[in-house]
Amino acid sequence: MTVDRLLDFAVTINPGFFVIAAALIAALAKDVATRAVALLGGPAIALVVLLYPPVAGMEVSRETFLGFDLALYRPDSLSLTFGFGFVLAAMLGGIYSLHRRDRMQDSAGLVYAGSALAAVFAGDLISLVLFAELATLASAVLVFARRTGPAYRAGLRYLAIQSIAGLALLAGAALYGIEKNTFVLAELGGLWNGVLVGVLDLSQPGAMLIFAGVGMKAAFPLVHNWLTDAYPNTTETGGVVMSPYTTTLAVYLLMRFFAGVDGLIWIGAAMTVYPVFFAVMENDLKKVLSYSTNNQIGFMVCAVGIGTPLALNGAAAHAVAHIIFKGLLFMTMGAVQLRLGTTKATELGGLHRTMPWTALACLIGAASISALPFFAGYSSKAMIMTAAETGPNLFPVWLALLFASAGVLEHSGIKIPFFAFFSHDSGKRPQEAPFNMLLAMGLSAALCLAIGFSPGWFYRLMPFRDQALEYLALDLFSTAHVIQQLELLAFAVLAFMALKWARLYPPERPGVILDVEWLWRKGAPGLISAVAWPAGAPVRVLGAATAWSIARVLVLARQVFAADGLVARKLPLSATAVWTLAILGIVTAISLFS
Amino acid sequence: MTGDKTGDKTGDKPGEKSPAQPQGPARLGEAGEHPLSILLFSWMRSQLFFRGLMALLAAGGGALIAFEFILVRHSYASIDSLPGFFGVFGFVALSLAVLSGWPLGKLMRRPEDYYEKPAKRGEEAGNDR
Repeated sequence: MTVDRLLDFAVTINPGFFVIAAALIAALAKDVATRAVALLGGPAIALVVLLYPPVAGMEVSRETFLGFDLALYRPDSLSLTFGFGFVLAAMLGGIYSLHRRDRMQDSAGLVYAGSALAAVFAGDLISLVLFAELATLASAVLVFARRTGPAYRAGLRYLAIQSIAGLALLAGAALYGIEKNTFVLAELGGLWNGVLVGVLDLSQPGAMLIFAGVGMKAAFPLVHNWLTDAYPNTTETGGVVMSPYTTTLAVYLLMRFFAGVDGLIWIGAAMTVYPVFFAVMENDLKKVLSYSTNNQIGFMVCAVGIGTPLALNGAAAHAVAHIIFKGLLFMTMGAVQLRLGTTKATELGGLHRTMPWTALACLIGAASISALPFFAGYSSKAMIMTAAETGPNLFPVWLALLFASAGVLEHSGIKIPFFAFFSHDSGKRPQEAPFNMLLAMGLSAALCLAIGFSPGWFYRLMPFRDQALEYLALDLFSTAHVIQQLELLAFAVLAFMALKWARLYPPERPGVILDVEWLWRKGAPGLISAVAWPAGAPVRVLGAATAWSIARVLVLARQVFAADGLVARKLPLSATAVWTLAILGIVTAISLFS
Repeated sequence: MTGDKTGDKTGDKPGEKSPAQPQGPARLGEAGEHPLSILLFSWMRSQLFFRGLMALLAAGGGALIAFEFILVRHSYASIDSLPGFFGVFGFVALSLAVLSGWPLGKLMRRPEDYYEKPAKRGEEAGNDR
């Protein structure tokens, strides 16, 4: 059977390669049908390959390149979880992008998705790092693709920071592999509860470099601004395509390399808290979503640090659920951006009148990210919260996560839909989003509900499947969990309404909010100027002296050689004769006495 | 869900192009409104909606605390197992996050062109599609 043979062959290939191959078709596609085939076909083939995985944990494709052993395709339960999320994101992003005839964005988006997908299935450090860097390069194209001055400069900043992270990853991988005499992940560490996680030893210099590189990609505190700088500067489709991969891939790398590293608990807890304050102040709703991404990645990083099977299931589940509901929220803001050219809260409001489907999708995304029971975020975040609540000495961390849960309700659950679609009537009556956008939003919303209402199928995808199903059976929908979560959200919404009623809610104002990026956007250039000015003083003095001297010489030359200058003056004949005799006398004297 | 109720004045700039500035709460099914919007959201524009929802949330929250007291096994050994802890925490946490926006906004907000001039509307590629 030809189909069976094709399938047998396809399942031996890293699914990311199919998506990257589709990018080549998308780059050349001129008609809508070919674009649609490329945008949806590549991820669809990858999905089929994922549905028929070979034996988990087996290196299906092992090659030797320049003397190095490479495992190009090593599927296991962890990579399948993330791979499933990435393929879904690629398909939804493809549908969402169909209205925009931009081959550069189509192909860059597919290379980005395919490389990220290939990275999670790579079984060695070399190919993993190379795929991760290819993903970075492709994602930078998505920022440049907005083709505005600010977007271009944001793209350069993004590329600079990601390049530093990439170099750290590459150097770390090289050092670590040489130290251990292998680059193959399965040979670097052993299985833990049947899954290859936490394979790197953080006491090694190479592992430290990898940690730094992955941390930058995960938008750890102080290096998080690439996210809030680049994402809002994308096109309406670029934000949707960019949101799922870089940070989620970083979470995957943290799980694979550093699961159970205690420091991640505190880094993650900090990541959940501080974006809440920035998101409250921020006027640009796409930037609010970027801070929200930072906050949600914090939950995952914290869970990776806790490192129990429940916590790691929570991190993986939240990563996949976040891909869907954050993608949905970016889609709704992308629709607003397409129709109105802005996502600034001060210029929006009342859009539900003409964009009700988009508003409805936004509300479902908002309910999901707020972890309202029976929506996607509840099914995924509950595991992280339980892991933190029951972990030893983690009460302060759990409180931080609980605070961040109320915070995410404020900025993503209420602020995004409220200021865009309800709130004051801006008087703007834009057309509803194009059909392909609505379809992508509808499918994403359906997935949010499917994960929320019937999480069994979703929990079966988790890396530690048995523990996930046990949690589902005993804890997820326990009376205590559901009531306490509803209580938290009900009173938080009540607080929002009370503050609005009392006019204590800070009004949205245009402006930019200072963040760490000030250091390299204003501080460093200012500092360099301040240091360079005294250092350049001697050069400036010398230059001024030279200029003054040249000017004086020119003035003198003019005085001598100008039409009315010294040499042009008429002299009397007697003076000429005297001068001639004098010169003759001097020459004669010199010749006589020399 | 109506900002009109809460006195939110943002976006009501006199120079802004606004083809349909309503004088008060919008009527049910205004001209050009999508039928789905009328079906799903128009009832939110009622004068009573805001107060009604607040009352509903307060009553629902109270009921949840009562349910928690009755249905959930609790102890007094730790603060998080006290009935109502999650409600109080949610109220305080959100209030703290929101109210921090006042001083932090004054401290950290700068003009739009602080770093560079923003792109002009319509400058971006793709707006024509």
